[in-house]
Amino acid sequence: MRTKERLFANLDLPLLIAVLVLMVIGMTTVYSVTYNPNSPSLFSFSEKYGKQLLWIGASLFLGVLLLLIDADVYRKFADFIYLGCLVLLVLVLFMPPVHGARAWLGIGGLGIQPAEFAKISTALLLAKAIDEINLKLQNARAVFNLLLILLLPSVLVALQPDAGTLLVFSSFLFVLYREGISFDPLFLNLVNRFRGVRFKTTWLGTHFIPFLFFVLVISLLSLYLSGSKYSFAGSSISGIVLLCFIVTGIALLFLLVILLLGYPRYRRNNLIVLVSAYAFALFLVNSISFVFNNLAKPHQKNRIELVLGLKEDPNGADYNRNRAMAAVGSGGLYGKGYLQASVSSMRTNHVPESETDFIFCPFSEEWGFIGTLLLLSLYMFIVLRIFLIAERQRSVFFRIYAYCVGMIFFYHIAINLGMNIGLAPVIGIPLPFMSYGGSSILAFTSMVFILLKLDCQRKDVLR
Amino acid sequence: MNLENRKYLLIGLVLLTAIVFISRLAYMQLIDDSWSRRATEIAEKRREIVPPRGTVYDRNWKKIVINQISYNLMIVEEKLKDFDTASFAKLIGWQKAEVIHRLKEIKENEGYYLNPATGKRESNFRKDRPYPFIKDLTLEEITQIAHQLGDFNGAIYEEPVGTRYYPFPNGANIFGYMSEVNRKEVEEDAFYRPGMNIGRSGIERAYEDVLRGIKGVRYVVTDATAHEIKPFANKKFDTLAKPSPHLILGLDIELQAYGEALMKGKKGCIVAIEPKSGEILTMVSSPNYDPNLLSGRKNIRKNYPTLLTDPQLPLFARPLQAEYPPGSIFKLLQSLICLQEGVIKPNSSFSCNKSVVGCHNHPTATSVEKAIQYSCNPYFYAAVRKVIQPNKKKKNEEDAVIGLDNWHRYMSSFGLGKKLDVDVDFNAQRGGLIPNSAYYNKYLGKGNWAFSTIRSIAIGQGEIKLTPIQMANIAAMIANRGWYITPHFVRSIGKKGPRKQYLTRNVVPIDQRHFEVVIEGMRRVVYEPGGTGKEARNEQFVVCGKTGTVQNGKNKKNHSVFIAFAPKDEPTIALAVFVENAGAGGVWAAPIAGLMLEKYLKRTVTNKEKEEYIKTTRL
Repeated sequence: MRTKERLFANLDLPLLIAVLVLMVIGMTTVYSVTYNPNSPSLFSFSEKYGKQLLWIGASLFLGVLLLLIDADVYRKFADFIYLGCLVLLVLVLFMPPVHGARAWLGIGGLGIQPAEFAKISTALLLAKAIDEINLKLQNARAVFNLLLILLLPSVLVALQPDAGTLLVFSSFLFVLYREGISFDPLFLNLVNRFRGVRFKTTWLGTHFIPFLFFVLVISLLSLYLSGSKYSFAGSSISGIVLLCFIVTGIALLFLLVILLLGYPRYRRNNLIVLVSAYAFALFLVNSISFVFNNLAKPHQKNRIELVLGLKEDPNGADYNRNRAMAAVGSGGLYGKGYLQASVSSMRTNHVPESETDFIFCPFSEEWGFIGTLLLLSLYMFIVLRIFLIAERQRSVFFRIYAYCVGMIFFYHIAINLGMNIGLAPVIGIPLPFMSYGGSSILAFTSMVFILLKLDCQRKDVLR
Repeated sequence: MNLENRKYLLIGLVLLTAIVFISRLAYMQLIDDSWSRRATEIAEKRREIVPPRGTVYDRNWKKIVINQISYNLMIVEEKLKDFDTASFAKLIGWQKAEVIHRLKEIKENEGYYLNPATGKRESNFRKDRPYPFIKDLTLEEITQIAHQLGDFNGAIYEEPVGTRYYPFPNGANIFGYMSEVNRKEVEEDAFYRPGMNIGRSGIERAYEDVLRGIKGVRYVVTDATAHEIKPFANKKFDTLAKPSPHLILGLDIELQAYGEALMKGKKGCIVAIEPKSGEILTMVSSPNYDPNLLSGRKNIRKNYPTLLTDPQLPLFARPLQAEYPPGSIFKLLQSLICLQEGVIKPNSSFSCNKSVVGCHNHPTATSVEKAIQYSCNPYFYAAVRKVIQPNKKKKNEEDAVIGLDNWHRYMSSFGLGKKLDVDVDFNAQRGGLIPNSAYYNKYLGKGNWAFSTIRSIAIGQGEIKLTPIQMANIAAMIANRGWYITPHFVRSIGKKGPRKQYLTRNVVPIDQRHFEVVIEGMRRVVYEPGGTGKEARNEQFVVCGKTGTVQNGKNKKNHSVFIAFAPKDEPTIALAVFVENAGAGGVWAAPIAGLMLEKYLKRTVTNKEKEEYIKTTRL
């Protein structure tokens, strides 16, 4: 048995403290949003803040328990945990729907969302599976197996439906890429069928995931901006021109990074990649806007515009986002002060779900740009700190799990904040440690404390 | 293959996202203030507090115009789940189909807009907003259904601005009425909002600026269904509403009611004034209507068209809007002018020469007093001739110009020939007509007329026209022995007293001694044998009066007129009674005047028989 000192000797305090600070911020924000002047005590357990406090307490208790479990347990039982979560995800489909989604397992107010925990279990099994692959001898079957691990829970959450969690599962693709999982075997299978073609490797297969992401983001942005006009410095420019400017700006930014920070050894290669990516992006932007504006039929255009939330409809479909952005934007530099949110507090209820998915609204309304800057910095610190923890692991299993956790955090933050500030469509997804809700708090706490535990034992494992 | 470097892709992704988000947040929160404006629009509302409209009291502190709070029954469609239309209809006493129709009507009244997102016409109707289902329910009506409204989710009632209520069904043509403001009024005056009421006539209009009070403003934070949550910025920007001060009228509502009862079934008016203050005690216009008929939107919609098209013209405020030849009451003024001009002495005598102007049979008037007593037409013809033809020019026509304009100055000083500045506002208030030389030059041609041409003005006929309130004012002026205060209703705005112009005396250029002569004549009219106004006689106090019988064209019955004041010394009431097409002044106007004086001075009337006869007779 290890002694107590050794048990927590390598505990990553910066991450732990950052998460605890975030919990405090989240708790105060939930208190402010759901504040009921008739029972102002934080311990009014009939109010949402009382319940949130209970959940946080329970989560921390669970966290401490998790710290006591040996890290090897997760590797050993990863399959069982994964299977258990799959069973729950199937069961949940037979529950009565809440707000149109069958996401809740349990009765009345006390229920859990298995999808939140499926993220952890999938991360664990993925880590185990990749760990067992010999990277030098990748084959199509191994890649297919990995994709299956992702696909099974993805399909189940898609059936709920839960678009947010589905998107979060896609974040694991980046982890696959980081770990060198290549789609090459699949690509070579296709490409080498042609007579006389014998590729050993394809660039597209190797870098398929970032390429896919790149194409998706550029396409969505093109669709989003095509047909819209912006006034800029007194003159009106079309959205596509604006996007071309943005793409150019980002390319210049990368150029600077390559020239100033990159290794001179890779400079030439990097420049080639950058130039071709830039050219490809411009091509993509213009061709998509051409298709959208000139070839698409009006009804197709209309549907795309509605799905993307392009059309202003402040009282209709776009109600939530319009109110949410008004709340965020009205914060100004210093905000309106604690408990002073006039648009997004639950008492005024202009922003629906302002204690869960839209909790960033009351926070930014009350604390202004200074608050949002600090919060965003804290989140970025947590994500980057998790990446740092990942990189320092000696065990591949630990590293992959850590990266998965980092990406889960990043996706949650990016989608949730993006939705709150009008850069992403409205997708229900909680903001880690801020949004009200037991499942989310429990899941994120477990995720972080398992990570902390693995990190504690990073030196035990020598592989 | 260097996998290690792939971490930079992930780190780059995170940092790029952070940069984009921070720029976006900086833009939204620091640079673009349209979101702040949108937030203000969404969550902060400016609520105006309209103070209750001022209450109006009569001279004895009886409430005569008060506010009646009415209630709107509101419906919130979203909350109308499991709505039992049939029993709701039963509760409010409607048919089921009517309820369904009304719900549809509310929706349609909200109109439509073109939704740019879907390109479809969509209703402005919001399911989560309360809309009035029935407007202007009285307290009684709402209490009958309020206790059961709880059974119907989504049906609530709220208290809107009060409507006017008149505890006495009298004085409609004094108070005027109120109705909803029009778009122009809303644009011109920041006080008004669509749906508010504004005084349309009478005191309500003349004192609109006082009665409406001063609005207060509250800034509140509202929720998504427009309900208030809390005051904005701790009430820092709020202002209090200031209710209107009370209006205390000189009106005696009991006398007014009595006068209206006497005039029932007759056309005409009674105007009574307190001479020393100019306060109007009573202003009866007959026929009239219950002012409550025009209170509130529902009532106006129902009753206004009927009243407007009634051939009896109940909306016509006769005392201010009608002009009549004064008839013989004019002889009082002629006496005063003649005496002041020195063309006659109190004991001057003229024979009753019926060859120039008709008269009735009476003993010869050997003095001004007797001439008034007998109302002798030839006497005043001869006397006034001396004023109009002062013999200052050789040519008769040129002489008459000088004489008539001199005479006109006197008449003008009595408040005739021009509008009296009475503090009620009716569109067509009139000022009567006293012709001068310019008038006749225009209509008859310069040099084409002399006294003989225009002689009927001597006895208050011809071109002469007075409004009944001017007739009453003459009585007040004589009662005061030579001055009057412009007749007015409001004796005090709160504790401030009346408006400034009702504090100054208008002194007429007639020596006081001449009034004693005329007043003695007026006493004789009522009390001496051969007097024409003996029907106004009262033994408890001395009445001074003068009858008039206004010729009204051929084949039409004469108007009956009587002006009087009482008591003779230190009079407290002066009045004019005008009854259209009722015959001689002594027959109808004089007895009504007598009853009014007794009612006011003694509070009860002794001659119940006469009272009953007058009340019940229709002309």
